[in-house]
Order: sequence, then structure tokens, then C-alpha cells
Amino acid sequence: MSRRRSHVAACVVTCVLLVSAVSAHHSQSEYDLRGKVEVEGTVTKVEWRSPHAWVYVDVINDKGEKVNWSFELPSPVTLMRRGWTRDSLKPGDRIKVAGAPARNFPAIAIANSIRDGNDKPLFTGITKTYEPDAGKKD
Amino acid sequence: MSVLIMVATDPAAARAQWLNYPTPGIPRLANGAPDMKAPAPRTPDGKPDLSGMWFANVPSKDYCREKDCIQEERMAREQINLGIKLKDGLPYTEWSKEQMKIRRANGGREDPHSYCMPPNFPRAWTLPQHTRIVQTPGMMVILHEFNGAYREVYLDGRPLPVNPNPTWNGYSTGHWEGDTLVIETNGIRDDMWLDIQGSPITESARVTERLKRLNFGLMQIEIAVNDPKAYTKPWSVTIEMAVQVDTQMLEEICLDNERDTKLYKK
Repeated sequence: MSRRRSHVAACVVTCVLLVSAVSAHHSQSEYDLRGKVEVEGTVTKVEWRSPHAWVYVDVINDKGEKVNWSFELPSPVTLMRRGWTRDSLKPGDRIKVAGAPARNFPAIAIANSIRDGNDKPLFTGITKTYEPDAGKKD
Repeated sequence: MSVLIMVATDPAAARAQWLNYPTPGIPRLANGAPDMKAPAPRTPDGKPDLSGMWFANVPSKDYCREKDCIQEERMAREQINLGIKLKDGLPYTEWSKEQMKIRRANGGREDPHSYCMPPNFPRAWTLPQHTRIVQTPGMMVILHEFNGAYREVYLDGRPLPVNPNPTWNGYSTGHWEGDTLVIETNGIRDDMWLDIQGSPITESARVTERLKRLNFGLMQIEIAVNDPKAYTKPWSVTIEMAVQVDTQMLEEICLDNERDTKLYKK
């Protein structure tokens, strides 16, 4: 293996681990994190349960068929600390979702962006913190 | 007072459980914000009081306020690699290197955390769920949001058990050295992970955690591991925890709706 290839291989290991690490509880290797799926459709169900919330969306594909997509979100605990609730998204809502597809299953993906009909991002926000570096500044 | 008014008048705050409810009995500034630089509180017997909710000292990402940031989480770097601040990394034995090779090759899919197993300490300090310390004179109880887990640290002077049945968190005793609580642990299971990259910890480990509350807002924890099966020499790392106030512990039962491990294989 050339030095360049070995460097790339090392990066793949490190980068996959780093990307994976954003998850609350699992490695995310079940998703093709370099892939991208973008759909627009109607919410059919929201599962606001641990360890991850899931949103189900009816999407009409290129053949005119209705496909129910499943999108994984962070944990409800994480989302609640950002100010979102189980009622933030309801069946019937029209949304656009972008994410990374599951490697081995169709119509399943991890969501990276969910926008409402006005193109406003949903499930954004930060957890409230109070100057966590206070001790260092003394 | 201003915080109370905010809670009373903000309908979002009012309905969001107790995620914005002011924590009583803590030092506050004139504007009602918690005084993170106030001295560390003490118990009636004069010991530092480590009670409270804690999270790794990681600031929220400001750019996530409005942008698509769904999968971004506050995350300690040590969650990926507990030895990330050590110049040469953790001193893995050949056995450990082999374990990690397998774990990496499988994309980390054998991580017990993925399968909703308990949040084993010391790893649990770095996980993206909150910890609550309840300190009493004879015992410290450490609660963790993930799976509603608990850990007991006996402060009554008892010795560590001899040849105990291994468990996820082992068996812990604590004693005070000045203002530092020193927790000793043995009896940890043989197949534990210390971080996402799969650094092992085994039944041969003796773990020493030194907890020091620097002020109201910040606690330092030195984690020292002596595990001759997994590491060629003893090592230690220091992490920082930030107190979390005006919030509450939230239940996160992982097996409630765990679906990801089913996606690993078709």
C-alpha cells in the first residue's frame, strides 16, 4: 500500500469514527453517510421514543408509486432540550427531508435536514447552557 | 426573579416539563442567572458537595440555533477516544490492539452501547446523556439518564470486595483526600468499552476517579486506569464536567424503540 493510500485508509477509519460519534447510542455504520437522499412528502407518523425519534413520510416516487420512508432523528431527550416536543411535527404535515440512506434497506435513512412547507428548518436549536468555561476564566 | 417571570410568561417554557424550571437553592447573580463562579457548595459536615446534574463541559454549537443541525450533539471528544489528550494515546497491549482491530473492522457495531447495554462508568461521564450526583454522608448515588441507570459509591469506609462477581459498573468505595473525593472501583466486567473507538477495559482493571469541584459550575475528574490485561502501564486522563441547572433529568430507555441494530444486517 502506498503512503498516500495508507493515509487515505487511515482517514477513512478516523473519519467514519468521527462521523459516527455524533450518535447518542449507535455507530451509524448501518447508514451510507456519504450518500444522500432528498424527498418531499406527507408525514404519516411520528415515533417520539428512545433511543431515537423516527418520522415516517409518504413520498411519491418517479413511477408514481407511494413509498413510506422512515427517517431517524436524534433522541427525544436531545430534541426536547433544544425546545422541540412530540407535537412539533404531526401526521399530515408536508415536509422536505434530506439524509443519508441505510446501506441494506430501502426507504430508510438518517435525517440531516427537515424543512417545513415554508422551507424553515425543523429540529434545530441548542441546549441551554450557562458559561460552562466559567471555572477556566478565573 | 427575572427567571421566574420568564417561566411564568413564556408558554413554551411552561409546557416543556421542567426543562426551564429554576433550580432552587443555588447561587445566582443579580439578573437571576446561575453564578457559575461561586464557591463550591459544602455539606453540613464541611465536605465539598458534589450533588447536582452534570454534563461534559462542552458548549452548545451556536451555529445550530437556526441552521440544519439535526444530528449535531454536544459531545465530549473523550467520547470517541478517552485518551485523546494523551500525547501517545492509550498504552494498549497487543491483546487490546487486536480487539480494537476487530471492533473497527466491524464499524463499531459490537459496541455494547449500541445494544442498549448499561452506561458503564467511567465511560458514562462522557456520554451525551446527563448524570446526577446525590451525595449523602455514607453514600454517593450516581444516576444516569441512559436506561435510568444508577451507581452506588460507598463512603462508609468499607473495603473493596475480594473476587467479586463482575458487573457493568463494578464496586465502588470513596474517601476524601482534602477536598477531593477519591473513588476506587474493581469488579468490572471483562468485555467493556471505554469509548466509541473500542478502547477496552477488563476484569483485571482497578479504576481510580478523583472528583474535585473547582467552583459551583465546574468539576474536574481524573480517571486513572490500571488494567494490565488491556494496557501496558497505568494511565490517567482528566475530564471536566459542567453543572446543569434549571433543567431536569429525562428518561431515555434505550430498548423502548431500538431499531438501529436491526439495520446492521439484512
